[in-house]
Amino acid sequence: MTDGTASRAPRLPWFVAFLGRRFVWALITTLIFVAVILFVMEVWVPYSWATLGSRSPAAEEALRELLGLDRPLPIRYAEFLVGLAGGDLGTSLGGRPVAELLRDALPVTLTVFIVGTVIGWIVGELLGRLGSWNRSPAAGAGISVAGILSAAVFPPFLVFVLVATLREPLLAAREAIGLPTDSLELWRGAVIGQEGALSPTDVRWVVALSLSAAVVGALVARSYARRYGLRWIELLALPGALLGTALGLWLGGLGPHALDLLYRVDISVTTGRGSPALALIGIALISFGQVMLLMRAGMDAQRAEDYVLTGRAKGLSEHVVRDRHVARNAIAPVLAGSFLTFPTVLAGMMIVEYELEMHGLSSVLFSAVESQDTPVIMGILVVLGLIGIGFRLVTDIAIATIDPRRRYARR
Amino acid sequence: MTSNMRAAQNRAARDRARIAILSHPKILLGVAILAFFGLLTVAQPVLEATIWSGQNRIYDPQFGFDHRIAHPSSPSFDHWLGTSSTGRDVFSMLAFATRPTLVVAVSAGATIAVISVLLGAVAAVREGWVDEVVSHFSDAMVLLPPLLAVYVLGIWRPSGDFGALQVGLSFGVLYGLGPATATVRAVAMTVVTRPFMDAARVAGGGDAWLVTRHVMPHLYAHAAVQAMIGATGAVIADAFLAYRSAIGESVGFGLMVYDGIVFSELMAGIADTPWWIMLAGASGITLLAAAFYLLGTGLREALDPRATSILH
Repeated sequence: MTDGTASRAPRLPWFVAFLGRRFVWALITTLIFVAVILFVMEVWVPYSWATLGSRSPAAEEALRELLGLDRPLPIRYAEFLVGLAGGDLGTSLGGRPVAELLRDALPVTLTVFIVGTVIGWIVGELLGRLGSWNRSPAAGAGISVAGILSAAVFPPFLVFVLVATLREPLLAAREAIGLPTDSLELWRGAVIGQEGALSPTDVRWVVALSLSAAVVGALVARSYARRYGLRWIELLALPGALLGTALGLWLGGLGPHALDLLYRVDISVTTGRGSPALALIGIALISFGQVMLLMRAGMDAQRAEDYVLTGRAKGLSEHVVRDRHVARNAIAPVLAGSFLTFPTVLAGMMIVEYELEMHGLSSVLFSAVESQDTPVIMGILVVLGLIGIGFRLVTDIAIATIDPRRRYARR
Repeated sequence: MTSNMRAAQNRAARDRARIAILSHPKILLGVAILAFFGLLTVAQPVLEATIWSGQNRIYDPQFGFDHRIAHPSSPSFDHWLGTSSTGRDVFSMLAFATRPTLVVAVSAGATIAVISVLLGAVAAVREGWVDEVVSHFSDAMVLLPPLLAVYVLGIWRPSGDFGALQVGLSFGVLYGLGPATATVRAVAMTVVTRPFMDAARVAGGGDAWLVTRHVMPHLYAHAAVQAMIGATGAVIADAFLAYRSAIGESVGFGLMVYDGIVFSELMAGIADTPWWIMLAGASGITLLAAAFYLLGTGLREALDPRATSILH
């Protein structure tokens, strides 16, 4: 409008309203998700610790009352939500708070998930982009086969193959970097209870949090760079975030400790499991195929557009058309679609982590299932859902940064 | 345009679609893999009744044991894919385990297709609060990995109560309410903005009419894609459940992988890794899962090459 009535009114930047809407979405989704989990655990799951073994009906009833399992579901739902707001995920049937059980496990899973999916994303996007442009049948078939294998592989078998082939090289690498062969030397302070000594949990949390921050920042920076044509930032943001975090940790004096956790082999020396480095490779292999197939499909859909012809007609080189025009238009739907692959990738990741005997969320989950500890199972499923919501928010922000239309969309 | 001409045009379009589907390499490959496994399923009882019969039931997939050799044995003329650590014939196990896996895939796929088409079409036609409920609910369901949920639900149940059909149905419900409904609803939202919807409304069509006659036909292909991709996950979930609850005489692809891994860990450095058991099980899982994935992506490419960007 030119008469000024609209322009005089103070206007908030787009992201205030956008973030507000996304926050409301996250809140509603959490409410529904917790209700679903509670329903599944109470109605669908046939077991509970209270009914384990051969107790008399009276004893079972008393136990259920003691554990608060006999009260109506809506009340327990409300209580769980109130607790969740304060970071309380309930109490395990063994008496320990679930949040305490997860404190050591969460950073392991978070680190492996973030680094694994970021590597999978970088590789998948690159191969998908090149694969869409390369019209040779061999490249197309190779990409299809790799993508489908990545989606259809049986994770326990993948882990077995990885351990069988990569254990020796990893051990050699550990020696080559100059880490002590015995991990205990690094953690002696924490083991003997020295004041102010670094414990593995501390280091894991520092690594997990700094990695999350770096990757979220890199994703948003990359989207901005894509929008404003800063080609180098776009290319280097994600690898840079990983390397930058590593460098920062090293300069901060945490390098050897963090590396030790990455190459840790002390959990089961005979089977060679427990190494997060192997888990990263496994998760990258499981997640890259989905991104690659999505990216190639997105690029293929854009190839027929008129602007591709225009770009070629005005003499742009092929890689400029590919990288600056087609890839930039293809990326938003790929980001949106990648959220729908979240459950598949997450489940694969939990299995890989468990098979490698890492002390992450999966080991807590699977042992809780074995001891029929329903509150712990519920707590972990809720935490996984919250990770998913965070993942969705980050992709939504990245999409809105690339595509202004999404900033004002209702959903 | 006369109605005759229009009918002829529609027929021509259908024929083109049929040719596109039948000649797509991914679909052909997927059908070929499924046909191979279908043949295995049929061949197993036939072989047991003819060539394998009367040899002390050596080739029984559950209780067979060949007394003449040590187990596990590598592939040989008597045992085409070798034997397991408990002396069962791996080829017989592979063929025997195919049928329940197909049951899992088909029941999961059918559940996913039905749920996602119904919810997606109803949400798009009714809009308003119905759409809000459906889309928020599917957003929340996406956060629950069906594989983990099926594992939590099934691991403590006796396999008689939670067999192939139950695994397939529960995986189908969880995946169908989550990613499948989210995807199909997004397609349905683009269908309801097309002009023919207004025409149908003006002509007096009710909601039920609009849903069944005007929206759902546009969703079948997309629901089929979701069904196939979901079936891939269901096959892996079923194998994982068998892998984790491997006991007694049960037979499954996951159990074969488990057998190989456990044996090689127990006998590390003493006996060679029995790769043939693991490879038979793992390739059974991966080939069947890949067949459904190929059908799904092939169908998507053949029917609607331009819609690929909004689907996954």
